[in-house]
Amino acid sequence: MFTLSAEGQELVKKELTRYETPYSAIIPALYRVQKENGWVPEDAVLHLSQLMNLPASHINEVLHFYTMFNKKPVGKLHIQVCTNVSCAMNGGRELADALCKRFNVKYDEVSADRKITISRVECLGSCDTAPMMQVNDRYLENLTPELAIKKITEMGG
Amino acid sequence: MQQTKLLSEHYDKPEFQNLDGYKKHGGYAVLAKALKMDPKAIIEEVKASGLRGRGGAGFPTGTKWSFLPANGEPRYLLCNADEGEPGTFKDRLMMERAPHQLIEGMIISAFAIGSKKSYIYIRGEYDYSIACVRKAIDEAYKAGLLGKNILGSGFDHDMDVYAGAGAYICGEETGMISSIEGLKGQPKLKPPFPAVQGYLRKPTIVNNVETLAAVKYIIRDGAAAYRKYGTEKSPGTKLFSVSGNVTKPGNIEVPLGISLKDMIEMCGGLKPGRKLKAVIPGGSSAPVLTADEAMKATMDYECLAQMGSMLGSGAVIIIDDSNSMVDLLDVIMHFYHHESCGQCTPCREGTGWLSKIVHRILKGDGEPKDIDLIKKVSEQMMGKTICALSDAAAMPAISFVTKFRGEFEQHLQKARTTSGGVAHA
Amino acid sequence: MPKLKINGKDVEVPAGATIIQAYKASGQDICHYCWHPGLSVAGVCRLCMVQVEGIPKLQIACNTEAKDGMVVNNNSEMVKETVKWGLDFHLINHPLDCPICDQAGECGLQDQYMQFGAYDPEMAEQKVKKSKVVDLGPTVVLDSERCILCSRCTRFCDEVTKTSELGIFNRGDHSEIGIVEGKPLNNNYTLNTVDICPVGALTSKDFRFRQRVWYLKEADSICPGCSTGCNVKVHYNEEGLWRVKPRVNPDVNGHWMCDVGRNTYKYVNIKNRLLAGKVGRRDSWMEMSPNDATRTAGMRLKDVVDKHGPESVALVLTGQYTNEEYKDLLVYFVTGLKLKNIFHWVNNPEKLNDFDGLLFRGDRNPNTKGLEAALKLAGSKGRWEDLQAGLNGKKIKAVVVAGPEDQSVYPDMNEKVALFAQADNLVWFTACPSDALNGSGAETWQIPVKTHAEKAGTFTNFQGKEQKFPLATTIVPQALTLSEAAEVLAGKELNWALRPKSLGGAKNNYATTERGAL
Repeated sequence: MFTLSAEGQELVKKELTRYETPYSAIIPALYRVQKENGWVPEDAVLHLSQLMNLPASHINEVLHFYTMFNKKPVGKLHIQVCTNVSCAMNGGRELADALCKRFNVKYDEVSADRKITISRVECLGSCDTAPMMQVNDRYLENLTPELAIKKITEMGG
Repeated sequence: MQQTKLLSEHYDKPEFQNLDGYKKHGGYAVLAKALKMDPKAIIEEVKASGLRGRGGAGFPTGTKWSFLPANGEPRYLLCNADEGEPGTFKDRLMMERAPHQLIEGMIISAFAIGSKKSYIYIRGEYDYSIACVRKAIDEAYKAGLLGKNILGSGFDHDMDVYAGAGAYICGEETGMISSIEGLKGQPKLKPPFPAVQGYLRKPTIVNNVETLAAVKYIIRDGAAAYRKYGTEKSPGTKLFSVSGNVTKPGNIEVPLGISLKDMIEMCGGLKPGRKLKAVIPGGSSAPVLTADEAMKATMDYECLAQMGSMLGSGAVIIIDDSNSMVDLLDVIMHFYHHESCGQCTPCREGTGWLSKIVHRILKGDGEPKDIDLIKKVSEQMMGKTICALSDAAAMPAISFVTKFRGEFEQHLQKARTTSGGVAHA
Repeated sequence: MPKLKINGKDVEVPAGATIIQAYKASGQDICHYCWHPGLSVAGVCRLCMVQVEGIPKLQIACNTEAKDGMVVNNNSEMVKETVKWGLDFHLINHPLDCPICDQAGECGLQDQYMQFGAYDPEMAEQKVKKSKVVDLGPTVVLDSERCILCSRCTRFCDEVTKTSELGIFNRGDHSEIGIVEGKPLNNNYTLNTVDICPVGALTSKDFRFRQRVWYLKEADSICPGCSTGCNVKVHYNEEGLWRVKPRVNPDVNGHWMCDVGRNTYKYVNIKNRLLAGKVGRRDSWMEMSPNDATRTAGMRLKDVVDKHGPESVALVLTGQYTNEEYKDLLVYFVTGLKLKNIFHWVNNPEKLNDFDGLLFRGDRNPNTKGLEAALKLAGSKGRWEDLQAGLNGKKIKAVVVAGPEDQSVYPDMNEKVALFAQADNLVWFTACPSDALNGSGAETWQIPVKTHAEKAGTFTNFQGKEQKFPLATTIVPQALTLSEAAEVLAGKELNWALRPKSLGGAKNNYATTERGAL
């Protein structure tokens, strides 16, 4: 079973009393799991349920409601290309396709070298710099496929 | 035309991000002033200013505040920084460039409504904004601007950031409340309304980032000064996020009521050789305007409402003639299908249904009756659900297929020709 | 008390009531799925739309308070159109598998579509694929494609049992009910989720694929599973009982019953029953009709009383019979045989006052209170030590036992048979066979009796509430009630013309012993 590090468990316990209700600590706890593991495995839910003394079903509801929690493994670089309206109008979808081709990976899957996962996502709120993408926590903007590939390569992709 | 920079005046100064820099430009002086005022007078000033919610619904802020019960019950102020409406990127910029401006506006607002605790709910993708605001809150605590007895006024207030985790629906105020409560971000049944029973069933006010920051300027200059900008029913300045097919997309701050034509000019106009085809004036939920309509539109609540659209969050998406409206509607319908929270049946099922029909048309599998079916399904999704996401999906669908019907029909025709006859033989 | 007009009819409702409650109170139909009177308001199916005069938008009746002077309707074209579409929205991803769906015949979707539906579905897209045959736990199976996400079952687990096993995972039209692996739906109330599921998404492992519901009859009854006395309906056909479901009674069980109670139909069915009277001991038994067995037992008891006096006979009663039966039996023993040795066999004294906080009680007898009252009336002072002493000292020559209908809740069955068999004669009324009885060393009469479902009568529950129930069906026609047995013991003839006939219950109901697996 997945378990958080001692430090992670401390953090979760602190979050439990930070807000008015312990339930508010579920999102921060899931973030912590993702930080330690790269994604949130199914059995982390049971672990958190025990650690936080909250119903497993509620934790699982939260996990599956929010798209930022990865429910399956992702590569070291999780590349999320915006394909919503403004980006779509400026080549976001073609950018995403080009990246898949270049890094030889299908959408939402992990590349053979475990380095890359490419996903298409909804609006990331950077429409004036379309097309854009998010690589892990970083926004990369005003892209062309060439520029995007260059940056990903620089980041170790 | 020039911008009218009230909220965005110091965006270009990196020092404005920090407390010291912010103070250099008069930061927290308005808070000091406000803390000496009668909270009721602040509410009255905000009411008098005619400030309307900048998140999308445009509800008068002062009126919203006055729905709070007049008793000593603890109450919460929640700042909606979930900015998820496609095309919108104004709140992110403020949190990154002027986080203290938001915090100051929030403390003033909290003082006005008598709230001792507030949260800023920032969408999880905005990692950098979260970091900026967290840092600013820390600075404010250290400077005695948050916590106990703020600036010796006897007013206590705590503020925290709550990071979302990826769900458009959390921009709906009760969805956001559910999310902070640690649940799925599903909107709550109304009544009761948040002002009566919101966060943890306590009286709660939810305001957008831009709205709360504007409060600072209304208190600084007075309602009358604020009303010098904008129109009678849409006073003040507004941050617009302009994107799509303009040569200089970006955030601009202008008085409400300027013409959409001027706005497009301010953003560098269209690319050479392109013609304006349509404009989405208030985020992807807003019904689309044709080029003709766009040329007549002024950017204020009443004009756009009159044209059957809305100002929404101020996300203006300029669409030129290189785009297929069928394609864009497909993108938009995919979005609402992806983001429907799934509680209410008409929305849960309707968004998926619409997305499938439009996608089928796009792929050349459409049938003539599909256009009317889109309208029928959309009409039955409107006004039938707990929150407005269902309407937000239906409105663009209806407007696209009505205003660009010819293009949809052409697409059906083309599909038939290219597939060599009847699509469903 | 607000007064309002509903579809032209005047209705008065308690203050704070909602419009949907006003509809129910006025006996008028309103389409709905997610609303349930025993649960919080979710307001998500969006079907209970009504038009309220003065409000432009349609309102949902479940979350709108009924106010004085309101004029409400749900029969305008606008409402009808909305409900039609609302139903279609429910159906676009719902499989059309009614012919193989267990809910068919009692399905909210079927029923309401017949009444309010569009009859001309326009959905031509691929339906969303979801999980089928999901094993939620020991009792319930889920078909996610049939689920309309009304959230009744999740609210039940959150609000009533507070066990929160169920959740709705994912969002939009990919939402699915489910459990977290390792946390199955496993509490004593799980099958209520099946009852409140308006479609065939949640089905009972015990009942699914066993019977088409339109072939079943139902009768009101009282659950014999414990002293709460939940009001129930038993569903039966000529093969016997198939299931037990709760019947609403706000004073006793509200809308619910426990899973233990649902199993009480099983021992009623013929395969588990004692069909003929048995007289003899250990390896030597003679079968005879229940009537004959009772008559010969009655003669033996008279002999014993004649020879050794009334103190040589003891009567032992369990809290599993009706007030009427206690009365009739005691009349014979107390006034007929002048018996003073009357005892109350308490099966699990240490658990008697247990309570799970909801419905289930440690006293696993439906009529302890009724028995106590009857014993008091009969002047019984029977102390268990006296019985033991009388048996040890061979003063008691005959013991008459109205044994438990449900032996499984009598953990001391073997021990008590051994104790009572110390007497020379043992007369034992029992609905089901017992290995312990078959091993009795005394001269023993095993006399088949009717179960609760096969007789009318009254149970007095733990609150002292007397609850009458009718005869549901007859499984073992030859078996006697204790009232009948009292007459036969006294040497009277039963009026055979008046006795319930078999409904064909002799057919073997295979499912009684074979059900329960996925």
